[in-house]
Amino acid sequence: MISTASAGLKKGRMDWVLFFSVLTLIAVGTLAIFSSVSVLPHQFRIIRTHLIAVPLGMAVFAAVWSLNYQIFQDQWKFVYGAVLLALIGVLIFGVVDKGSRSWYRLALFSVQPSEFARIGLILVLANYLDKKITSIREFSVVLGALLLSLPVFFLLIKQPDFSAILLTLPVVLIMLFAAGANLFHLAIILGYSFIAALFPILWTVIHLNPELLDSPLVNYFFHLSDFGWSALSFVLAVGGAAYLLWVLSVKLYSNISGVFFGGAALVVVLGFFSGVMVKHQMKDYQEKRLQVFLSPEADPKGAGYNLLQARIAIGSGGLLGKGIFSGTQSRLGFVPERHTDFILAVVGEEMGFWGTMLVMGLYVMILSRIRSTARLARDRFGYLVNCGIFGMFMIYFFINFGMLLGLSPVAGVPLPLLSYGGSNLVATLLSLGLVQSIYARRYALV
Amino acid sequence: MIERGISQDRMNFLWGLAAAVSLVFALRLVNLQILMHSHYQEIAERNRTQILPQAAPRGRIYTRDLAAVAANKPSFSLIYFPGRINSVEAMDKMADSLSRRLGMPFDELRAGLYRAVKKGAPVRLAENLSSKAMFSISELKTMYSGIDIVVEARRFYPFGNYLSHLTGYISKMDAKDWAVYGKDKNYGMDSRVGKAGLEKMYERDLKGRDGGIYLEVDSRGKLSRILESRKWEPGSDIYLTIDSKMQAAAEAGLKASNTGKGAVVAVDPRSGAILAMASMPDYDPNRFVSYSDEKKYDNMKELPEFNVAVQGTYPPASPFKIISSIAGLDSGRMDPAETFLCPGYFDAGSRVFKCWEKKGHGKADFIRGMAKSCDVYFYNLGIKTGPLNIEKYARMFRLGRPTGIPLPDEKSGNIFGPSRRAEKKSYWFIGDTLNLSIGQGETLVTPIQMAQLISAIASRGAFWRPYYVDHVVDFEGQITFKSKPEKLSQAELKDRTWELIREGLKEVVLEGTGQTVKIDGVEIFGKTGTAQNPHGKDHAWFVAYAQLPGEQPEVAVSVLVEHGEHGASAAVPIAKEVIQAAFRGRLPGSRALVNTLASAGSGAVSGSTAPAGGGR
Repeated sequence: MISTASAGLKKGRMDWVLFFSVLTLIAVGTLAIFSSVSVLPHQFRIIRTHLIAVPLGMAVFAAVWSLNYQIFQDQWKFVYGAVLLALIGVLIFGVVDKGSRSWYRLALFSVQPSEFARIGLILVLANYLDKKITSIREFSVVLGALLLSLPVFFLLIKQPDFSAILLTLPVVLIMLFAAGANLFHLAIILGYSFIAALFPILWTVIHLNPELLDSPLVNYFFHLSDFGWSALSFVLAVGGAAYLLWVLSVKLYSNISGVFFGGAALVVVLGFFSGVMVKHQMKDYQEKRLQVFLSPEADPKGAGYNLLQARIAIGSGGLLGKGIFSGTQSRLGFVPERHTDFILAVVGEEMGFWGTMLVMGLYVMILSRIRSTARLARDRFGYLVNCGIFGMFMIYFFINFGMLLGLSPVAGVPLPLLSYGGSNLVATLLSLGLVQSIYARRYALV
Repeated sequence: MIERGISQDRMNFLWGLAAAVSLVFALRLVNLQILMHSHYQEIAERNRTQILPQAAPRGRIYTRDLAAVAANKPSFSLIYFPGRINSVEAMDKMADSLSRRLGMPFDELRAGLYRAVKKGAPVRLAENLSSKAMFSISELKTMYSGIDIVVEARRFYPFGNYLSHLTGYISKMDAKDWAVYGKDKNYGMDSRVGKAGLEKMYERDLKGRDGGIYLEVDSRGKLSRILESRKWEPGSDIYLTIDSKMQAAAEAGLKASNTGKGAVVAVDPRSGAILAMASMPDYDPNRFVSYSDEKKYDNMKELPEFNVAVQGTYPPASPFKIISSIAGLDSGRMDPAETFLCPGYFDAGSRVFKCWEKKGHGKADFIRGMAKSCDVYFYNLGIKTGPLNIEKYARMFRLGRPTGIPLPDEKSGNIFGPSRRAEKKSYWFIGDTLNLSIGQGETLVTPIQMAQLISAIASRGAFWRPYYVDHVVDFEGQITFKSKPEKLSQAELKDRTWELIREGLKEVVLEGTGQTVKIDGVEIFGKTGTAQNPHGKDHAWFVAYAQLPGEQPEVAVSVLVEHGEHGASAAVPIAKEVIQAAFRGRLPGSRALVNTLASAGSGAVSGSTAPAGGGR
């Protein structure tokens, strides 16, 4: 592997394997988009946008490739400022679609700044971690990284764009992880995120099964979702419990520091408050998506219906598929969002098992190339940028495939390079351009 | 390796995670797309296709001379395919505009729409659309998705009431029908099933195999295209033994009689084949076929489904004298030459029994007694013969037993006699003997029993199981069923007895009470009767059989006119027309006869060619 890679690396300034994987995915995606929209009344608008986005993305790819990526490290403040400005601007000048103010409307198409903000954040974090690498195992560094990301998350919640948060938060964690952060520190953050997510999920479960409210404990827990005496009592109870456990551990002569118990209590309380905030910010359709993930059979004609129909589309494709432009599920409108988030269903139905395996293989190939590039990067910044982009691709891949295969919740997550969506395509190609730029300026072997 | 002061283990771990998860995805895809493929493919097919069941044209029902009693004609139905637009408001709006265009009740349409959405299957909203309704619906089709019009074969009874008691009718299934047919895939909730008569008894033959139109619909239920239509297999045709002209004569005669109620049964004494079977009052089976007439159906609780011919029981009255005579003559207790004086009454000691003729008949031997139906003669005959003897012969002639005609709820009537009394632990009086011998008292018979009886006289004792389906032909032209005459029993009497009875019955027509039945060129043997009815006017009877001179008897008829008072005046003319129809075309001047028949109210049966019933 190393030998073949390095043999090719000596000459090339271009990773052709990555490049052709990208081109093939775009080709498959374009076919699937054309097929799935060919029966829609506004198909020409979609096709036009797509045909603008593809060359635009390729141009961005080429431009970033030719640019020395190190400039982003030098100018990280500018990058960070641009990210925040774009996200603040969209709150003022943006247009609302599906309840979220996350689009700039331009003459021919709209731009979603959060797609680019994610890559900007990767660059900013890579720079930060590069500078702090010697003290990476200290909690202050982890907190610093989170503080850097916090304004971005805050602005995303204001839109609100939960899909973007769902995609960006893991990227931050993966970067911290790859940079070598203390696993215990990551566990605290994970625990915090877990609790912040768990509360809204549990409340939704209770909401779905009102008979659970008969139990006084559940009833009490349910009412925690509103601030008030019960919330205050909850905070006191958590604090008290942590204190008692600390006292107990002291009595048992264990060496566990009091910081641990204080930290645990703080994580639970902070997670709880974030959970309440998320709950109050959630739009109806987002809550519905959560409900569908929790019990897909409950609403077969509603949102769960969409997922079921998408799965039927994939399953009915079989080994060879029904042929391009012949998928009944997608073309007759049974599969929703078929040219965006559910594009894999179209591929699965029309191109069959070989089609889905090809797409999956190409993703694995791209991931593999990003990893190799990381190993070859000439500096730590390049390595960390690659880790972030690797994490981003991996999360897209996991969530979108997992959603269609019933392994993760229904989230509005596109499949990069395949789904229709100009901003996502251009941003993805921009990130791959970065990878190429790092590759082209790799550490010269021997 | 490049030294960056950073371990690559974490990156390698992430890569391993990605590889492991993609392996899970791959396995999941194998399961979904290869192992479960057929399952999902089936669902996808079901998703995009909706099957609109198309009822096969029911088998037609023909008379012996090929008049179609039940046929089919094309009709246009309004169908609704449920789609994803299924909000209550949308459906209410659709039901509202449809009800305004069609003039159908809003509630009914809305219920249909709801049913379609609930079942997820197409539903017929309206049937038998008028061309005007179709025009306004085609406008609506552009506004509402899921509405369409299809052509179907619809049951049609060209002659309305004609033969309705035998053909029966079809209608929507109720819970009871669903219990019977629900398991059969050939039946759907809105299938029509036979509810009475032939339509019910031969349901499975007549039904045929339903076809279906496979339609491709999009997720909103909008019709995308027709994929294929599976052709139906029409039901089997039934050919009856009924003669259309005789049936028409029987029905017209009954309708024209003084009360318009009663029954006529004509059988072929050589086989037991029913040639005509009329029962009044009757009904028009067409009224049940259509969908929008359901309200009418509710109003029709007093539907005249009662088939007088097999379900009505009456005292046999004078026709029973045939059995009394047979008992007397065959047992040897009566000398046919012996005469009795009829002064118009009979003194039974404790009570005086009257003859129907107050003036009396004077001296009468057997032939005269029979011809004039002299009660007093038969009182004497009864006393001489003995009631046990008469009861024995009544049993031999199968009274008190159903004839076995394949029709539901046939009544067996009632046999009357001393042994029957003894079973009931009661006494037998002389008056009972007298009543028995003239067919009054507790004896009860149905018109078809009387037809079987007179047919047995005609055939010298052969009792056939009456049947009316001659053969059944499936849609490919194969005969799937052919009736064979079934002899139930044979009454063995002395030749002399048969001769005397024949002579007596002939004398009835020539000189006696049944003279009006006389037809040139036909030998007719008959017996009139007037059944006393304590609840109202008397019932009129006439039983007869007829033959061409020197040939075998061909037709035996029994006529009952409820409250018709006198057999001679009410029942005999009907029998005459039926017999005339039986021998049409074979008598001198027959053409003229047939013509008068056609104009005499039997115009319904206009010809022996099958009417153009659409569908096939």
